[in-house]
Amino acid sequence: MTRRPPDPPALYKLMAWLSPSYPVGAFSYSSGVEWAVEAGDICDAETLRRWLAAVIAEGSGFCDAVLFVHAYRAVESGGEAKLAGVAELAAALAPSRERHLETTAQGRAFLEATREAWPCAALDRLATAWDGPVAYPVAVAAASAGHGIGLDPALGAYLQALAANLVSAGVRLVPLGQTAGQKVLAALAPVVAATGARAQGTPLEEVGSATIRADIASMRHETQYTRLFRS
Amino acid sequence: MRERAGRCCEAPGGGLDVLPSRLDPGPAPGRAGLAPAGTRAGDAAPTLEGDAVFAANRVRAHVALAVAAEGGVTRPRRLREEGALRVRFPNAAPRALEAVLVNTAGGVAGGDRFGFDLALGLDAAVTVTTAAAEKVYRSPGAAARMAVRLTLSAGARLAWLPQETIVFEAARFERTIDVNLSEGARLVLAEAVVFGRAAMGETVETGRLVDRWRVRRAGRLVFADTLRLEGAIARKLGEAAIARGGIAMATVVMAPGGEGDVEAMRAVSGRLAGEMGVSSWNGLCVARLVAAAGAALRADMAVLLSALGVPVPRLWVM
Repeated sequence: MTRRPPDPPALYKLMAWLSPSYPVGAFSYSSGVEWAVEAGDICDAETLRRWLAAVIAEGSGFCDAVLFVHAYRAVESGGEAKLAGVAELAAALAPSRERHLETTAQGRAFLEATREAWPCAALDRLATAWDGPVAYPVAVAAASAGHGIGLDPALGAYLQALAANLVSAGVRLVPLGQTAGQKVLAALAPVVAATGARAQGTPLEEVGSATIRADIASMRHETQYTRLFRS
Repeated sequence: MRERAGRCCEAPGGGLDVLPSRLDPGPAPGRAGLAPAGTRAGDAAPTLEGDAVFAANRVRAHVALAVAAEGGVTRPRRLREEGALRVRFPNAAPRALEAVLVNTAGGVAGGDRFGFDLALGLDAAVTVTTAAAEKVYRSPGAAARMAVRLTLSAGARLAWLPQETIVFEAARFERTIDVNLSEGARLVLAEAVVFGRAAMGETVETGRLVDRWRVRRAGRLVFADTLRLEGAIARKLGEAAIARGGIAMATVVMAPGGEGDVEAMRAVSGRLAGEMGVSSWNGLCVARLVAAAGAALRADMAVLLSALGVPVPRLWVM
């Protein structure tokens, strides 16, 4: 992680694509955090931080990061079959109905908005290579590689947005003050950095998760009586 | 068809002459690496001589089994056994073939290679389980590997219900389960992993487990799941998002599976000792379980399978 910082246009694009206002509806997904709050697993800033640290380092964060890295490299090296392979694995890797919805609905929305507002050949190639549902990290990785944005800043921005979105869900649900939420996000910075670095050295077939109870939380969320979130 | 260091049976007529008496007597004496948690018998010094001894003691085991249905009765049709894996067919029930995998090496140690290929013919039905819980012992370096390939022809039904895998301190284990389903094939796959034997005061502080499942239907990947737990296992299991201190976990996959299966499992969730979540999408149904110990998890899985109408192998409750 020692490359130079992204040039201004790259940073401009990343901040647009991964801002909460980009039309993918990120704010409506909690990855099971809503159930974890309901069940008492998350009840304050510290339990939120620990839950999210595990999800980022050992769960969907790490999986998304590995998929991102390999989708990015497949676009860069021009391997259509490789790109299709990553996209197929990414679409099949979700552990529950709502987590599948979360990644494929955001992936589709991201592609629709980005092909209109920020078109690039890589997104057309992705559509040619793979006709199934596109997982969110694959969509963002393809756009990043297609626009010549470095892997390091693009992956870092993706993981930061993922962490920020889940912190925001926790802030609304626990509830926590906005400053307390930012302290959690700040405390997660080293986890995000380490996860991105680890993902870049992980072969695609080694992608995997240990966060079984976070998966169970997303499954139980399906029957949660009062819900603010779609996952 | 006889293979080197193997055995092979062809039974074109339907019957198959494979008897339990053909089992190997047991693990070779002095086999390095078969050390229970806490001992260091497997930690051979990294000398050339030590490496050679280590390599000579590794298990290479492979079973290829094909079953086929005729007139509604499924029978084994081809069986090839190499190394320390055997298959027995203990029950003579005409409509429900049961195959039992036996690991005559008595466990799995670092550097071992196990393979199991199972092919189900048109409309064939079989339940596969194991004779005992598989124990994965401390590895001095190389991971133990197991590769399972399950191929189901149209209309075939497979219940893959092995007993749990018990992972000991400092074990390194990588398993792949690759399933290929033809249209109309039905799969129930349930696998459990337990870290140490809590009743015997064993804990697993470190190790590496990578359990990689891939399910394809008509060639298309419909479900991919990898349990990946490595490094500080006990500390990680303590995390609320991972197991909240539980040491036993399982995943059940039904393909095809739907909301009916989800409802059946949710209806019995109040009878479970541990925690369970279940979901259905893409024509699949997947359940995850976590429990404080292996015995509780096994009981929970039996409750769930019964709710799904899947007969629990007798060996689970013996």
